[in-house]
Amino acid sequence: MKKVLVIDDNPTIVELIKYAVNLQSSYQVFVAYDGVQGLERVYAERPDCVIIDVKMPRMDGYQLVRCLRGDPRTANTPLIILSAMTREEDQMIGLLSGVDEYLTKPFKPSALNAAIERVLRLSPDERRRRMDYLVQTQADRE
Amino acid sequence: MRRLHILLVDGDPNACIRMQHSLGNEFLLQQVVSLSQARRFLAEALPDILICEVMFGNESGLDLCRFVRRSPELCHLPIILLTNLSTIQDKVAGFDAGADDYIVKPFDARHLAARIRLLWRIKRLQQFDSI
Repeated sequence: MKKVLVIDDNPTIVELIKYAVNLQSSYQVFVAYDGVQGLERVYAERPDCVIIDVKMPRMDGYQLVRCLRGDPRTANTPLIILSAMTREEDQMIGLLSGVDEYLTKPFKPSALNAAIERVLRLSPDERRRRMDYLVQTQADRE
Repeated sequence: MRRLHILLVDGDPNACIRMQHSLGNEFLLQQVVSLSQARRFLAEALPDILICEVMFGNESGLDLCRFVRRSPELCHLPIILLTNLSTIQDKVAGFDAGADDYIVKPFDARHLAARIRLLWRIKRLQQFDSI
């Protein structure tokens, strides 16, 4: 069974996400309630996918994503941000930090499940190509 | 895209040569081997990105991070910590000190180059966003 780690400081949101991800497929879900606890759980549980909020105490979601992408042990872990921050700039910072998908709250369970399935299929090469493309498109916009 | 000017702060005098070999010609790399040299360098010039080791004998690269963040002239300088220290506590301390990114050695050269470019884009985006 695939393991999904949910990191969000709002316990109600955590329960909603747990419910949503088990609607379509069966995942083993772990939870953490701030960035540092989330980091600890990543190394302890080695999840197949991590769903991360942005605004959290101790370490925010962007820092957590960069932390995971900067460590060879976790550089290719599938990562999804699920945040109430909906501005295009926020989403771009999330994607540039290294997240595979950026979803906004409120969310549809089907959209979250589809995102999980997509990131689980991403290969390290595809991830790198997407990042290169993202950097290039950002440079072209200036 | 123009070549980004990177200041590498690492006590190993050969680190710059190795990194230059790995990163090719995309970046303009300069190295200093101590934190005091780094402070002197930053008083004279402003690189695009600072890459700093954490371990410097009795000193810590985290002190340089804090120095940069406290300085009105330097506080927006993007900082990447590149180090062998890999515990969760090390990483939390790095971000608390003001680092923007934390990369654990040994690093893949393509990965490091990508992280540098990504961080540069993020900083540019935040710069435009704050105007």
